[in-house]
Amino acid sequence: MKFSVMNKLITLAVAIILAGSLSACTPVAAWERGTLARPEMALDADPLETTLNNHIYFSKEASSGGNSASGGGCGCN
Amino acid sequence: MKSRTLLALTASAMALPGLTSQARADAAPTESIISYRVSSYQEDDLPLVHRLAGSRERYDIDVHQLRLLLPVGESYSLTLNSSYESMSGASPWYAIRRIDGSAGIVMSGATISEQRRDLNISGRKYLENGTLGANLAVSHENDYDSMSGGFDAERHFNDNLTTLAAGLSYSSDEIDPSDAELFNRVTDESKHSESVFMSVSQILNQTSVIQTGLNITHLSGYLSDPYKLNDRRPDSRTQTAWTTSWRKYLAGADAALHADYRYFHDSFGINSHTIDLNWYQNIGASLQVIPGLRYYTQTEADFFTPTLNFAVTLPLQATDYRLSNYGAVSGSLKLQWQVQDFTLSLSAERYHANSDYAINHGAISDGTQSPALVSFNRYSFGLDFQF
Repeated sequence: MKFSVMNKLITLAVAIILAGSLSACTPVAAWERGTLARPEMALDADPLETTLNNHIYFSKEASSGGNSASGGGCGCN
Repeated sequence: MKSRTLLALTASAMALPGLTSQARADAAPTESIISYRVSSYQEDDLPLVHRLAGSRERYDIDVHQLRLLLPVGESYSLTLNSSYESMSGASPWYAIRRIDGSAGIVMSGATISEQRRDLNISGRKYLENGTLGANLAVSHENDYDSMSGGFDAERHFNDNLTTLAAGLSYSSDEIDPSDAELFNRVTDESKHSESVFMSVSQILNQTSVIQTGLNITHLSGYLSDPYKLNDRRPDSRTQTAWTTSWRKYLAGADAALHADYRYFHDSFGINSHTIDLNWYQNIGASLQVIPGLRYYTQTEADFFTPTLNFAVTLPLQATDYRLSNYGAVSGSLKLQWQVQDFTLSLSAERYHANSDYAINHGAISDGTQSPALVSFNRYSFGLDFQF
């Protein structure tokens, strides 16, 4: 993949995330938070899968941290 | 199991508070949940064209995970996480330059078979305006032991629209490589890490929430890989990771979008970007289909060399493909089916790494990509029961 293409993809994805944050923080009363309480809206919707994924990526990539558990041990080979 | 440059930020050390909470007032759980996952992780064989010696069969790992969440009284909870991994396969030992200029991989000669067990215990106290948490974890392998612990706190503000969270953790690891005398490896080495995390979560409106956080980790001790030939890395490493997560529910589609981004930088000279997108599509009241796409790109470590030069002794060097300049793309699909108090899940992932996927793939050290970059498949089956 060309540098310019990947760079644009990253820029686009970051822009999507930031667009969410910039789309105005509107007051949300406690009784209006039902949607936010849905399981699929959790920041970590599946703790066991997150743990496994982070352990795999931690073991196969040079980066780690910043999110939930990476798993113990020295990492896979 | 073979060690690697990334010192394990163990389960407890990295049980960071940020992603375990929402930007809203927490209430202690009132029901227990027991969850089980079994997963099969299968790496592709090393292509014959890249192998100089040793087995082409890379790692296969079977993983069993068990999680138990228990309410304790009206304002506490206890969580137990345990896993058992059974591993077999061979891994790259070192790389050398061949006559045609390409890099060839010498794999470990024999297929290794070993196990890892870990246990993580965490407790949480729920307060009127936040939570307090603590955890301890241990991990054991025949050549590697890790212990860790941490604390975290959350505080809700702004009518519970905003949550600030912070955490500290520490881990201590002991490494005693197998066959040390035979291969002239180190013995009884150790490493330690301290980590701090801060995050802020904000409810944006009735259908979206965002969280951003900063994680700084300092590692010290033996950070080289004793199972790789002439692997010499710095004895300290500082890592910084900035993450942002956004969740958006789309009522028209009855679906939720998960978008996650991480920027990573460390004192080895590695920079990386990770983007993870997942679409949680509800189908009816009990079925959920979750396709996902992940992109990762990193630059190489300052001391990475694609091939060993036996005529020159460098103070720092490593041919580990995980320290090279590369990118990776993975796609996943997950199905979840809820039946009364049970939830069944099936998931599959395909991961492929290649130096051409890197953002700056033109800046590859020595013009030679690491041929040991990994591709793998992962399959999981899970069962959750709420009671």
